[in-house]
Amino acid sequence: MKKTIKPYIMLLPAMTIFFGIFVAGLSMTFLQSLGYFPAIGLREFTLNHYKEVLTDHGFLTSLRFSLWIAFVSSSISVVLGVLLAYSIVNSKHKKGLEEIVYKLPVIVPHVVAALLVYNILGQSGILARMAYALGVISQQSEFPALLFDKNGIGIILAYVWKGTPFIAMVVYTVLSNMNNKLSEVALNLGATNKQVFWHVLIPLTMPSIFSSFIIIFAFSFGAYEVPFLIGPTAPRALPVQAYAEYMNPDWSHRPYTMTINMVLTFISFLCIWVYYKIFKLLNKYNG
Amino acid sequence: MNKRNRTLSSFIMHIMILLLILPLLVLVAWSFSKSWPWPNLFPREFGLRGILHVLDPSSRALKSLLLSIRLSLVVTIVTLIISIPAAKALGVYNFKGKQFIKMLVLAPIIVPPVAVGMGIHLTFIRLGLANRFTGVVLVHLIPCLPYGIRILTDVFEIIGESMEQQARVLGANSIQTFTNITLPLIAPGLISAGSLVFIVSFSQYFLTFLIGGGRIITFPMMMFPYIQSGDRMMASAYSMVFILATLVVLIMMEKAIKSYYSAKNYFYL
Repeated sequence: MKKTIKPYIMLLPAMTIFFGIFVAGLSMTFLQSLGYFPAIGLREFTLNHYKEVLTDHGFLTSLRFSLWIAFVSSSISVVLGVLLAYSIVNSKHKKGLEEIVYKLPVIVPHVVAALLVYNILGQSGILARMAYALGVISQQSEFPALLFDKNGIGIILAYVWKGTPFIAMVVYTVLSNMNNKLSEVALNLGATNKQVFWHVLIPLTMPSIFSSFIIIFAFSFGAYEVPFLIGPTAPRALPVQAYAEYMNPDWSHRPYTMTINMVLTFISFLCIWVYYKIFKLLNKYNG
Repeated sequence: MNKRNRTLSSFIMHIMILLLILPLLVLVAWSFSKSWPWPNLFPREFGLRGILHVLDPSSRALKSLLLSIRLSLVVTIVTLIISIPAAKALGVYNFKGKQFIKMLVLAPIIVPPVAVGMGIHLTFIRLGLANRFTGVVLVHLIPCLPYGIRILTDVFEIIGESMEQQARVLGANSIQTFTNITLPLIAPGLISAGSLVFIVSFSQYFLTFLIGGGRIITFPMMMFPYIQSGDRMMASAYSMVFILATLVVLIMMEKAIKSYYSAKNYFYL
């Protein structure tokens, strides 16, 4: 008897926090999105807010914008991160400074990543100054507005700058702990380097690439700071939109805000589920 | 691996690392500049005004930096204390509902913080936790716990329970087993989990801002307005100090844990 409840007791503190804050917070958001908000006397459940949100043009453009940013930035980060990890493993003779230096962006907060992009891509940033020095442009305003733009180029670059080293770190750890013999066997049997990369290294690192993609995708889809600082005012990224609605002094507006939050949460899960399915399918074919 | 391939890899690696580091060099240049008007490629005058302002004992910046460090250290310690037993349960034992709990533990990484934060905000206000240090620590646990539990679960899966059982058989009580066997064995995991948790908490903006209600002003919150208003010099100076402070705390944390446990055991490293 004592043995069977032991793990539950050990999990108790963590579960108290998870249920007390995380599940409770999310449930409250859910209840309010259904129109149940006793604090202002709303007690009737309704799906009207969902109908309203899901047919709202502004919401839909924000949603598309957020998905675009998250998908493009995470995909680029994965490609670059794998390339970086692979090239470090491949070119390494001994533990060098490179191994520490590339991790620097991991400790830099997203707020600062936004500033870095602003310093470089802004119309008075370094790139614009270089273009001026080279005579490509004759004044600031001729430099393309890459920040606050509708395609979210600045936001995407900020996330790529943060995401690439993160992916590289994870993949590098797996690659360097991996048994070298597998690649050597393949090479001995006549495989080319390219074949070793695609048929040995990539399948073996796939699970960790997969889970780190999820982490950075979900993060860039749900985070507030970067799109708030260097994103356009229209369309706003969904988390920025949600906070703007939350600040509405009229509390009867609250259910609408919470509906945005629920859709945001739901889509995060949906994307992960779809990605998981695709991943499984691909893995089946890889044998 | 042939030589040509190695050179190519080395070339790609250096280019990519350079691209990652260059923005930080621009940041350093800005934080030490006094005037850097358009369209100069380099600052016209260098100066320490920005850095000195941040480090000035009378400014609010230093105060909020210390508050931030204290907050994130408390969050890190609480996270580790909660994570160790949870990770051991998940890593070593089999029990009903294990898969569900493993998924639940990772859920905060997927769910946007805006959704959880706004949901719990009113409850925190009613409980008197909002606008308070304690409240901010509690809400930071949500993004931090998944990392702490996940990393330590992996560690416990690798080391298993045999060493601890051996100690118990030889007559050690549970406290002795924990401090003399378990802790030294998981020390490397504690360093990586602790570092990551510290970084997550130290960089946190939104949840601190929402639950802190403008009363608990951490360092990322101090620099936000400078970035927003486009004051590059001040924003860069704040960022530089932030990055250096993170490095110092991380190095000290690692040193502390390493020196404490390497004296006691022979398994480690």
